[in-house]
Amino acid sequence: MNEKRHAMARRVPAVPRRAFLADVGWGFTGLVMGAMLQREGRANVGAWAPPTGQPHFAPKAKSVIWLFMNGGVSQMESFDPKPMITKYAGKSISETPFADVQNPKKLADVREFAKGQNTTQRNTLYPLQIGFRKHGESGIEVSDWFPHIARNIDKISIVRSMWTTDNDHGAQTQFHTGRHMLDGQFPTLGGWVHYGLGNLNDNLPQFISIGAREYWNRRDGSYLGPAHDAVPLRIDPENPLDFGRPEGGVAIAEQQVSYDLVKRLSGLRGVEYPSDPAMAARIASYELAFKMQHSIPRVLDFSDETAETKAKYGLDLPHCKEFGTQLLAARRFVERGVRFIQVQHGGGGAGQWDAHGGLKGNHEKNSLAVDQPIGALLEDLDRSGLLDETIVLFATEFGRTPGAQGSDGRDHHPFAFSVWMAGGGIKRGVVHGATDELGFHAVENRHYVTDIHATILQQLGLDSRKIEVPGRKRLAIDHGVPITEIIA
Amino acid sequence: MIALSDSPNNTRFRLLARIVVAVFVVLSHRQIYADAPSSTGPTTHQPVNYLQQIKPLLASRCYACHGSLKEKSGLRLDTAKSMKQGGESGPAIVPGDADASEVIRRTTTDDISERMPPEGEGEPLTVQEVELLRLWIANGASAPDDEKPEPDARQHWSFRPRVRPSVPQVSRDAQLRNPIDSFIADQFDRYGLVAQPEASRSVLIRRLYLDLVGVPPTTDEFDRCFSDVSAQWYEALVDRLLIDPRHADRWARHWMDIWRYADGSGLGTELRTSHDNVWHWRDWIVESLKSDVPYDEMVRQMLAADEIYPDDLQKVRATGFLARNYSRFSRTQWMEETVEHVGKGFLGMTFNCARCHDHKYDPIEQVDYYKMRAFFEPYLVRVDLLPSDVDLSRGGVPRVYDASLTVPTYLLVRGQENNPLRENPVQPGVPRIFEFMTCAVEPLQLPTEAYQPERRPWLLDVHLQSAKAKLATAESAARQAQQELAEKKVKQKAEENIEKKAEKRAEKESTDENKSNDLDVEEAFIGLRLAIAQAEFVSVERRVAATIARKALSSGELTEGILPEPAHSQALAACQAERQVTVLQAQYAVEEAEQKLKSAEPDKKKPIEESLATLRESLAKAILERDQPTEQFSGLGGGATRVETRFINNQGPDPVEEFPTQSSGRRTALARWITDPTNPLTARVAANHFWARHMGAPLVATTFEFGRKGTPPSHPELLDWLASELVESGWSMKHLHRMIVTSAAYRRTTSVAGAQANLQKDPDNRYWWRRTPIRLESQVIRDSILAISGEIDFTQGGQPIASENQAASTRRSVYFVHSGNDRNLFLSMFDDASAIECYRRDESIVPQQALALSNSRLVYDASLRIAERLTASIPPAEHTETDFIRAAFRLVLNTEPSREELLACSDAMATWHSLPDVAQDARPDFRCRCNLVRTLLNDNDFVTLR
Repeated sequence: MNEKRHAMARRVPAVPRRAFLADVGWGFTGLVMGAMLQREGRANVGAWAPPTGQPHFAPKAKSVIWLFMNGGVSQMESFDPKPMITKYAGKSISETPFADVQNPKKLADVREFAKGQNTTQRNTLYPLQIGFRKHGESGIEVSDWFPHIARNIDKISIVRSMWTTDNDHGAQTQFHTGRHMLDGQFPTLGGWVHYGLGNLNDNLPQFISIGAREYWNRRDGSYLGPAHDAVPLRIDPENPLDFGRPEGGVAIAEQQVSYDLVKRLSGLRGVEYPSDPAMAARIASYELAFKMQHSIPRVLDFSDETAETKAKYGLDLPHCKEFGTQLLAARRFVERGVRFIQVQHGGGGAGQWDAHGGLKGNHEKNSLAVDQPIGALLEDLDRSGLLDETIVLFATEFGRTPGAQGSDGRDHHPFAFSVWMAGGGIKRGVVHGATDELGFHAVENRHYVTDIHATILQQLGLDSRKIEVPGRKRLAIDHGVPITEIIA
Repeated sequence: MIALSDSPNNTRFRLLARIVVAVFVVLSHRQIYADAPSSTGPTTHQPVNYLQQIKPLLASRCYACHGSLKEKSGLRLDTAKSMKQGGESGPAIVPGDADASEVIRRTTTDDISERMPPEGEGEPLTVQEVELLRLWIANGASAPDDEKPEPDARQHWSFRPRVRPSVPQVSRDAQLRNPIDSFIADQFDRYGLVAQPEASRSVLIRRLYLDLVGVPPTTDEFDRCFSDVSAQWYEALVDRLLIDPRHADRWARHWMDIWRYADGSGLGTELRTSHDNVWHWRDWIVESLKSDVPYDEMVRQMLAADEIYPDDLQKVRATGFLARNYSRFSRTQWMEETVEHVGKGFLGMTFNCARCHDHKYDPIEQVDYYKMRAFFEPYLVRVDLLPSDVDLSRGGVPRVYDASLTVPTYLLVRGQENNPLRENPVQPGVPRIFEFMTCAVEPLQLPTEAYQPERRPWLLDVHLQSAKAKLATAESAARQAQQELAEKKVKQKAEENIEKKAEKRAEKESTDENKSNDLDVEEAFIGLRLAIAQAEFVSVERRVAATIARKALSSGELTEGILPEPAHSQALAACQAERQVTVLQAQYAVEEAEQKLKSAEPDKKKPIEESLATLRESLAKAILERDQPTEQFSGLGGGATRVETRFINNQGPDPVEEFPTQSSGRRTALARWITDPTNPLTARVAANHFWARHMGAPLVATTFEFGRKGTPPSHPELLDWLASELVESGWSMKHLHRMIVTSAAYRRTTSVAGAQANLQKDPDNRYWWRRTPIRLESQVIRDSILAISGEIDFTQGGQPIASENQAASTRRSVYFVHSGNDRNLFLSMFDDASAIECYRRDESIVPQQALALSNSRLVYDASLRIAERLTASIPPAEHTETDFIRAAFRLVLNTEPSREELLACSDAMATWHSLPDVAQDARPDFRCRCNLVRTLLNDNDFVTLR
């Protein structure tokens, strides 16, 4: 650990949250719950209290970089190669020894939002569009579309047995909240983490969202309140934040005077309105706004990065410049103590990975855009030791059908898909779970999406049952179960 | 130390927190955690506290089936006594012997059919929970002797009939302005609280304006109130503001939150929920509030205006409330949203909790959920043209109608859509506990025009007006095209003249000819397009005339083979006019193809020639048909279109049936039941919303949950009194507004100055000893900025302002598009209502708000205008910075600055002046003034309702 991060770690407990905001200080995102509860007197909620910002048990990880591939990555052509679909290519599934995968009982998990949407089973097996080989000491097989990730395979735990229930792109939301589109809106995992844990750095938002966000629920906080929504950032030092710079050429020095005056007037108002928590919160919010305005562009100013680093992230390559910039920014945010960073890849329509046709070209292009930056991120974090306390997740909303859609595409496939995690106390070089020979169903150590949430929360030291909100009943499946097999 | 029953926890918690913080600071973060995940269960040495450890566990996990709500297998677990007594399987516990206790056996068994809680009803108890139970039983299962069973669920406060409470006699000379204050003061006596004084007049004026009309007073308005010497100045102001049209915009937004207003949204151009014209419903809300349509009547109209007033499209607009739930692909989702939010919005009941199983807290069985759904099962959405709809393609009111009287509702086992109980369709009905009045459903016959909207007498006129408008647009387009063409010709002439002077005239000649030919062709096409538009108009006009003539005939005459005169010749003329359009269109196609052929490369000519031949044939045929007209002409459109659904298959629309002649009457029955004065919930839920929005916090904190899981009212009598006032005033909203805002409770200061004793006893102001400040809603903040800058446009109604036009718009924020995909960025910074569900706004204070208020274009532009206005308003003679500061405080905050505030502002002005950026400005004084104004717009009290 370097000097800077030592200082950061020490500051964690010094910033308590919410319940006693009015007494000791202000969380970065303000006092929604604090104010509301104060008003209602907590009369009928018994022993319930909002989170203190402290972990419930010793955390293994402090931050999360959540990489989400919009549209649905093919499991067979990424991290779960299936030679059988090449062997039986052109055959109908019912003609193969694996016909039982279409047993209606095995297909019962799926819930259709729009009926007839992508439900026609894609029967004719479509061969693998890319080769694969073993990598690293672990010898894990990865497709040739992801050479940079493959180079780092010994840092990674792959979970090949994910399943979900939405066969529409509402599954993007489902991956983030654990709930199907038809169930309404719920907080995303980032929202929960932000709600449950205190700040690592008071000058920066603790929950950031980078990249095109296509999924349906755009409010991470949902019933936890808008204070727990991600702060959307553009990776553009000139204009990273909404309302991030004064209009009309107002100089920063002028604004400083203005903010000082706001503060002074509030202080004077305190004579007439003493002990007003809102006033104190507002003063704090202005101080933070002013800091944020300057700290965020500074984080996004890469001039102190070496040319070599920039090249590693692919900033000089047109095909991966955008994602590389986002990941370099993510690394810089983690370094400075940002808790949760969502990076979405592939906006537009239902998501760029949604290869209903032309899968080969589609995945080739998309993997080219993300692979090198992700490899660079893993190596960079590992070298500085940050990977030990940072979880990197690579995920997508569902897999793709082993059968062909049209002549050269694959359809949505909720029955099986792969995700992987690295860092933050996750095992290195492990494959967990398995699909059948066609990659059709997750058959071994099956995991619903919330098991990923539970695993991450476990590493962050949070017990999701201890931060529930009264009146918002969560079921066992909403909490999920940590995947202990991949935890070091 | 603490007198109130509910605050000890709170205060103790804070104290504890302080101590915890102190400890945290000296520890490293890795050492701090509440308990390890592997924490072991209790050991036998630890005593178990029944009331603190066992009872809450059983209450949350077992009471739903073994308590007052239900006594499954004759067993109740809500007292130790009843546990010993047991049920059909014998005693649940054997004190001293955990292993012999049924409760332990059933919670730990591996047999899934035996396990408690049963699968699907709840998670198994954790190992620690079972250990606790075990230990308590082993220790003898002790419990207080006077332990009371869980109160009867049917006797829950909000389910009991509402009785108008008598106004309490209050002994003290408290501030009593109306009965509300007696109810409040009654609690003061009990808890030893003292009311804070009334706020200053300037604060009161600002408070009433922001609360009742949603913008601060203008300087003139403020001065008028401030200098009103009448003792009734306050009441007079309230009366003025309640009839101010702006009041309707302001309060419409409150109800739009609760009733879930959302403009149409979807993916790309595909509509997936609500409807683009649902704003008709918003306009209906605004108009209804303006004319004080009673609350109960508004609810009835929203649920069933199509049945109660089938002939009155203005009222039918109200059913946008239900049309908003439209969901293109999923009937289940549509119905779920409808049941959930009719329950939460009007009744404060969470029916949605009973979708998969019986309600865990309230006497609502799973079948009751589907009985509720059955009220709505028949309805779908259609769009009816209005007399004012000139643009047919964008017009129409989205409204509901019963599309089928026989469509069944099935209970879905465990709420699963693919698991309906088909053998047993569910009939509409209300839960047994609420059968205080019969909810009889009677189908009703609809008037003809409701199911044959094409018969609406004004409809032909709509078509005519629409055709006229279309023609006018075409004519003006043609005029413009001709003008442009004329200019081109002039230009070309000029160029030709220049070229003529050049020597190569001969060579150029052929090209010149082509050029002028091009322009001539263009001219011909413009003429042809205009001719088509004119023919289309004539077609509509003749068809309207022919339809009228045909309608005038008696039914006997219609059955004949040939129409009698003059209907016959009218029909022929209509037919001919319609076919003339076809002829012109065919002609256009031919000429287009001819042009294409001319300019095509020789090798590409063949296919064009072929298609040209076909087109010429079509033209010849069209001419032939036009010259032999028949009585058959196309109708003008029915005046109502069903909104497409794709429930059966996403690949194509569901089949459309004719509008039925009857309506099921189900929604009318439900509406009458909800609005019956004896319904214990409706008026209480509404009164709570009124109170919350005027006072900053509700009497029942859980505004959409009045069931047993909700928070009980802090002032049950006051709530019932307000509800009774609402009902007995004929459900007049304005009456209730007036009652609340004229109370002394409303008029108190928000300050806690000098109220240390109150703060100790009731820090959360649960008993209203002061006024609770409100962080203003997003819409009020934007509207206020525009109002102060003098730019606001108070026009009411109409299509919502689209995102791309919002930056330039000065309309009130309530008229901005507000949907799931589309919300204004500035508004969204201030906890704007979610389009999905918003029974209460959040009031966050986050840095993004500071950025929006200091950096946005909206605020910057407003600061310029405000500074200009203020500068202009001060007479030049006294043109000092101090005067400017005073004027700015008056306009922006409706208050006079104190000496210290003046000083602070002057200091800031001086500092700004000294900055190089300002000094170099062409107008340094003005720039400083703008900065001052912008700073005041960022003042806490600008965004706070004091």
